[in-house]
Amino acid sequence: MSAVVSKRPAWSQFISLNVARRYGIFIFFALLVIASGILSPTFLRQDNVVNMLVQFAPLGMVVIGQVFVILVGGLDLSVASVMATAAVIATCFDGTNVSAPKIFAATIGMCVLTGLLNGLLVTKRQVSPFLATFATAVVLQGLRFAYTQGAPSGNVPPIFHEMGTGFLAGMPINVLIVAVLALVFGVLLHLSTFGRRVFMVGGNSESARLVGVNPDVIRIACYVLNALLAGLAGLVLSGFVGIVDNWVGRGFELDSIVATVMGGVALSGGKGTLLGGLVGAAILIIVFNIVLLLGMPVQAQIIVKGVIIIGASACYVIRRAR
Amino acid sequence: MSTLFSLNNGRSLSMRRHLSHNAAAWVVLALLFVLLIAGTLISDRFSTVGNLLNVHQQATGLALVSLGQTLAVLTGGIDLSVGSIISVAATLTSGLADNPYGGWPTAVIAVVLLSGLIGLINGCLILWLKVHPLIVTLGMGAVLQGGILYYSLGPAGSVPDGFDSVAYGRFLNIPVTATIVVLLFFVASFMMRRTRFGHYIYMVGDDDHAAALSGIPTTRVILFVYFFSAICAGLTGIYLAAQFGSGQPYLGVNYTLASITPVVVGGTVLTGGRGGVIGTLIAAYLLSLLNNLINFAGIPSQYQLIVQGLAVIIAVSVNTQRKRVTV
Amino acid sequence: MNAGDVATTDLIELHQITKEFPGVKSLDQVSFAVRAGEIHALVGENGAGKSTLTKVLAGVYAPDAGEIRFDGRVVQWKSAPDAKRRGIHVIHQELVLFPQSTVAENIFASAEPRTRLGLLDHATMNGDAQRLLTELGVQLDPRERVGNLSVADQQMVEIAKAMASETRVLVLDEPTAVIAGREVELLFDRVRALRARGVAIVYISHRLDEIFALCDRVTVMKDGRKVATHNVSDTTRDTLVRLMVGREMKDIYPPKPVLAVNASTLLEVSDLCVGNRVFDASLSVRAGEIVGIAGMVGSGRTELASGIFGALPARSGMVKIGGIKRTRITPAIAIRLGLGFVTEDRKSQGLLMLLNVAQNVTATTLKGVSRLGLMRRGPERAAAVEAIRSYAIAGARPTGSVSTLSGGNQQKVLISRWVRVCKRVLILDEPTRGVDVGAKAEIYRVMRQLTERGLGILMISSELQEVIGMSDRVLVMHEGRINGELTGSDMTEHDIMRLATTSVSHTTGGEHEYAL
Repeated sequence: MSAVVSKRPAWSQFISLNVARRYGIFIFFALLVIASGILSPTFLRQDNVVNMLVQFAPLGMVVIGQVFVILVGGLDLSVASVMATAAVIATCFDGTNVSAPKIFAATIGMCVLTGLLNGLLVTKRQVSPFLATFATAVVLQGLRFAYTQGAPSGNVPPIFHEMGTGFLAGMPINVLIVAVLALVFGVLLHLSTFGRRVFMVGGNSESARLVGVNPDVIRIACYVLNALLAGLAGLVLSGFVGIVDNWVGRGFELDSIVATVMGGVALSGGKGTLLGGLVGAAILIIVFNIVLLLGMPVQAQIIVKGVIIIGASACYVIRRAR
Repeated sequence: MSTLFSLNNGRSLSMRRHLSHNAAAWVVLALLFVLLIAGTLISDRFSTVGNLLNVHQQATGLALVSLGQTLAVLTGGIDLSVGSIISVAATLTSGLADNPYGGWPTAVIAVVLLSGLIGLINGCLILWLKVHPLIVTLGMGAVLQGGILYYSLGPAGSVPDGFDSVAYGRFLNIPVTATIVVLLFFVASFMMRRTRFGHYIYMVGDDDHAAALSGIPTTRVILFVYFFSAICAGLTGIYLAAQFGSGQPYLGVNYTLASITPVVVGGTVLTGGRGGVIGTLIAAYLLSLLNNLINFAGIPSQYQLIVQGLAVIIAVSVNTQRKRVTV
Repeated sequence: MNAGDVATTDLIELHQITKEFPGVKSLDQVSFAVRAGEIHALVGENGAGKSTLTKVLAGVYAPDAGEIRFDGRVVQWKSAPDAKRRGIHVIHQELVLFPQSTVAENIFASAEPRTRLGLLDHATMNGDAQRLLTELGVQLDPRERVGNLSVADQQMVEIAKAMASETRVLVLDEPTAVIAGREVELLFDRVRALRARGVAIVYISHRLDEIFALCDRVTVMKDGRKVATHNVSDTTRDTLVRLMVGREMKDIYPPKPVLAVNASTLLEVSDLCVGNRVFDASLSVRAGEIVGIAGMVGSGRTELASGIFGALPARSGMVKIGGIKRTRITPAIAIRLGLGFVTEDRKSQGLLMLLNVAQNVTATTLKGVSRLGLMRRGPERAAAVEAIRSYAIAGARPTGSVSTLSGGNQQKVLISRWVRVCKRVLILDEPTRGVDVGAKAEIYRVMRQLTERGLGILMISSELQEVIGMSDRVLVMHEGRINGELTGSDMTEHDIMRLATTSVSHTTGGEHEYAL
């Protein structure tokens, strides 16, 4: 069994349902793991694998949501901002577990509103998703700054520390969370009627409309789902990092999009798998990890990341769907 | 392409054509005027010539990089490496400014050539690997970022004393470079509308498959737009180096996503084929004016971001002319 | 040039062409020749090899064996643009146009005239385009954006494009798929004009009437082989069908049963107005009947159907489905009440091209193949297998893609999808467009089967033979209004055309303004 836990055998049958060209990224992943194992003996050590899993968890959560949004023909650049806002919300209250339900409620509320705003702008106002979600991100960032006056203070309740750093039955809790989410959302996307509608709307929204699907509702639902997942990721990260600053989750928006596209989800929508997105995220995490293990200077780390991104995506020669 | 599910009225030909080409640009222009009027009402210091000339100058950096981005977007692509190119250009300009081979002019020439080369590499990768431009340019941006960090981890050197006139020089109190950039926009717009190649850029964005079948040199078009975008980013980096006195490797980080905002607000759709550089120009000024106005309105710095974000949302929601877009 | 001289020289000849692909021999020693100044029809079922032959002719494919002779010399096309430069021009069903550019810009794409300064010479370009369009008898403003044009006009731009460069051989692939009535006549006139100029024209179509109306010779292909070449004047429709399909095909249209006296009214439409395209339309469809809707392109037929189904919002009026009245309809509501809508444009409004056959077949019946919100692959696959079997959808597998199926088979997938869910009235918009003869007969058969089961059918068609052959009643539309109704022996081409082209004032009397 490969090192990264979320690749469950149960998914393999769904892999075969989809087109063979998707195998490219898995081969790339396998080669990357092998190469990393050869380059660094500590790569496959248990503590390092656990380390990678823990790093993978928040990115994986965000990627799950991003897969939905991209599949339906959109894009979401607000995830990093949502994560940071959720993390700030975690510090808003008195820092005890008593306020945890309030934190969850506030986060859910914020996520739903953000997702609705994104979805409505894209569907009812025909705003480009790129711009709509970027603007939403800026507004959230502004709200964050306004509230924290630039420096968040306050404590994160212990329950989030548990979520972020605790263990259960030998597995890090945040990894368990993402595994459960992957399973649940994988079923939702690939096995449920809602998921089928997502593919229909993403593939050809006009044809979908004419068979009775409401494309706007499906799109808005995906944006809300994505925001909720990002919010959860933000809460988990707040517990993990311990200190919350305004920049929790920075870079996640582009990383999640890159992971999703590397995983074979077409930017034009309608084609792709959740597993592919997660593998893309795993590839990113492995790259982040191996460059550290090899002691590469930060400059080289960034370069390697860039090269891998391009290389992994070149595994599919995806001709733009017409 | 079928006009099946639209209820087109038989509006007169010229008005329809006029509207669809320039609709967004006109809306943005109107918003610009609204903002100017609002500004005048909020503060008398706002509408002074002096202040407006300042805005003119402040808009230069954003406008220049957005110019190049517009062309890439018009072909249906995107250039996410511009931020890194700006960082590279700024850092190398100041870092190499006192080289023994001719001083800063040589450095500038070298930087411009390097930018062009980077753009060509972007174009080649996009064409050969058939990977989406978003990924290619993002990856390239990362490679460049890492690369420039090898050269310098912090601010590199400094530009010579006369150099800041590139950023601050004025003639009859009118900022020189800013005006040149505006002129550049008009030249670009002219070229786009009045030359074959300019039209090809639109056509490739409209339908690249049809373009290839029609004998349009799509390869040359793609290579050119990414080359041009990189050059614009490089020039922006040089300008910023002059503005700040020296360049540092993270200078351009925010410019990547920021360069797309004026493009989209100005009416160019991310799927390509529609829009234009003039819209981008107006939108870039709109955003700069907004920034300026926010300062005058005395809005505390914590709230400024909120206002900016909301303003962008309002600006794009107002424009209901556009058809549904994806990405 | 004397017409007689020209028509006997082979301008282009494909001699013993063989082309193979992995697993299939697309062309088997096919010989096909076209003379300058002739209109040569190419017919055959889907999969017979017509499109492969065209691609060899146009330089897209290189033949594995055989040779191409052009103007008396053996040639080898290096590429499609190479053949194009030598004067071979193909106009496909899928138009190669730029919606955001003007007519003139499209016509001269990649060959735009320039001023001495190297800038685009819009004046010359527009002028030349105008002249070209006028020569072709087309009323279009060269400065109009192509995206705003009707599909028929867009097709004209394509033809003008071909004529802008020195075209010697013009291939028209299903040109009348998207036009009808007067526009077809105009197209024929223009094609005849091209013939008079000495152009060799290859005309690919499934519509045999047109071939007999327009073409000089006809070549029949079947299973990758050329079966025969005849002079059109020496052959009959039945002969051609027999050669194409390999068996006798009399009675392509199923017999029309007598309508039950007490058949319930499944669909009632009153005074429906849709946008500015449909005005005060009223109609009804009873169980067991096929109501045809005829009319020129642009008369509002599709908009009427869309308004009934909820695909387009209705400005006013009422729709009653199975006795249930509604003034506001969406596709979801219409489907729930028992309507189905097989749209005109298979690819962009009907099929979900990124999904497979099974997913397309079950697209309207997600509830039927799922439980508690989860899709069940067993029933989904079974539905696909059932559809493939009962509609004889060739080349389809449940998990296979729909984009590789032929037009007729794609149409069958769509019909099977709607039949699964449609309980009252099925609306079909151009059901046999781009469908070969064999598949057409099957589709007609299916339609009658549906009516025997008690459904009603509303069929929009531009093929008058089809309208007359299949409908129990025909409604003819003209400029957004239902101009008249014909039944029984009154359903003649002549009468339908009359109603389609001249307005009849309504009984509400007097002058009637037809606002557009």
